[in-house]
Amino acid sequence: MRKLLVSAAILMICSAFLFAGGAEESTNSIVVATDATWPPMEFMNDNSEVIGFAIDMFDEVAARAGLEVEYLPTAWDGIFAGLSNGAYDAILSSVTITEERQEKYDFSIPYINAGQILVVRSDSDSSLTHLDDFAGLSVGTQIATTGELEVKKYPDVVSKTYDEIGFAFEDLVNGRIDGVMTDTPVAADFALQSSAYEGVLKIVGEPYTSESYGIVFQKGNDELRETINTALQSVIDDGTVEELIKKWLR
Amino acid sequence: MASLGDLKPSKKIVPFVNESTLVPVKSNKQILWAWRISLCCALALIVLLPILSPDPYARILRVLPDGILNTFLVTICSMALALIIGVLTGLGQITTFTPVRILCTTYVEIVRGIPLLIQLFYIYYALGKFVALPAMISAIIAMAVCYGAYISEIFRSGMQSIPKGQMEASMALGLSRSQSIIYVILPQTFRIVLPPIGNEFIALLKDSSLVSILAISDLSRRGREFAAATFTHFETYTMIALIYLAITLVMSKGVAYFEERTNYYEN
Repeated sequence: MRKLLVSAAILMICSAFLFAGGAEESTNSIVVATDATWPPMEFMNDNSEVIGFAIDMFDEVAARAGLEVEYLPTAWDGIFAGLSNGAYDAILSSVTITEERQEKYDFSIPYINAGQILVVRSDSDSSLTHLDDFAGLSVGTQIATTGELEVKKYPDVVSKTYDEIGFAFEDLVNGRIDGVMTDTPVAADFALQSSAYEGVLKIVGEPYTSESYGIVFQKGNDELRETINTALQSVIDDGTVEELIKKWLR
Repeated sequence: MASLGDLKPSKKIVPFVNESTLVPVKSNKQILWAWRISLCCALALIVLLPILSPDPYARILRVLPDGILNTFLVTICSMALALIIGVLTGLGQITTFTPVRILCTTYVEIVRGIPLLIQLFYIYYALGKFVALPAMISAIIAMAVCYGAYISEIFRSGMQSIPKGQMEASMALGLSRSQSIIYVILPQTFRIVLPPIGNEFIALLKDSSLVSILAISDLSRRGREFAAATFTHFETYTMIALIYLAITLVMSKGVAYFEERTNYYEN
């Protein structure tokens, strides 16, 4: 009698697992980790919801792939370890595609180039759209960044280096320099998200350097990667990403 | 309790022993030698390092000259401005006209209570909010406002160190208070404050490296940019340190010369 009860209990528990597994399969849901501290790419709004350019984009990608997404806010420090452990299916957290990372993880196709981009004052001459136009004018960058190296490729441009990019933006707003070169997300954050600089600054032109962000998968999770790549490609091709870039980053 | 007895002053001690005679006296000769050794070492290294290892030392030396010029420009301009501020607020601190005295003392207290780095940032960006000034001029004003307070204190203490009798005597001779200050007190004060102001000048030259955070291409900024681009931090900072050392040593000699000249009447 006791044996029967135990086996019945085991059977019930197992079937519960099976049932649960089946339910997950049928809705096709995935969990995506994101370090939501990087506005305007992915960040928390006042209601503790994850929002941003990457989130808008991935919502669209998931809808087209027929996937239900849950965003799991995860600290950057352990974000790759969690993926290796299988705590989530993918990372969507402004991860730059690098060779070292590609050895250990699989990447989707790049979804944005977040390279160094130029920010000017909204009231500055509309012909100032490229570093070529900045002969004799000064451009601020953070010291020892790719931005500084990029500006120094233009010998006619006066390079000004700052310890923090925030000081460069302050000097730009106060009119002491004519432009700032920094990463696209940082530029968008200062020029568009900051209430102090809203409407005062604008982003011009396209990124000067290439720094592509991709979605990270476990090595060998080819099925999910293919599904998302196909949907991502269609989102890029039909101009949705371009629209989102206009909304969040220009 | 025998030890207590040992502590009793022995009769052999000369009655007018004071602190200064107990401290070993550094003769002028020793100071001169220390100065010569440091300067020779600094200059020798500045010359030898680029010759012995042209990469990166010679390259470092090539990017630094306009930085050195900017360092001098900031130092000299802000010192001149700080002297003006310092003399005026120093006089303001001892004036009998209460509102001016309170204003000047408050300025000195506020400025002396805030770290120079924070103040530089604050004045530089605060200035930017209200007037469109070039970065260099804003930095010079910021430095001058900070150092004006230090120099003001030097002037105040200098003037107060003039014996009371001088003021009393000049007023007894029929000079007004302001006349006594201008013709009797101030000339003596300048003599007293010259050496400390010289020291302040050297300190300002060293502190001028702080303006490098305001994106002014001074000596340290030039060096940092070079180090950041070439990853030669140790070599670059060695060179920068040597150049600062050479400059300040030459300046301290100048201060010593002034000190000698102002002691002329006392010996």
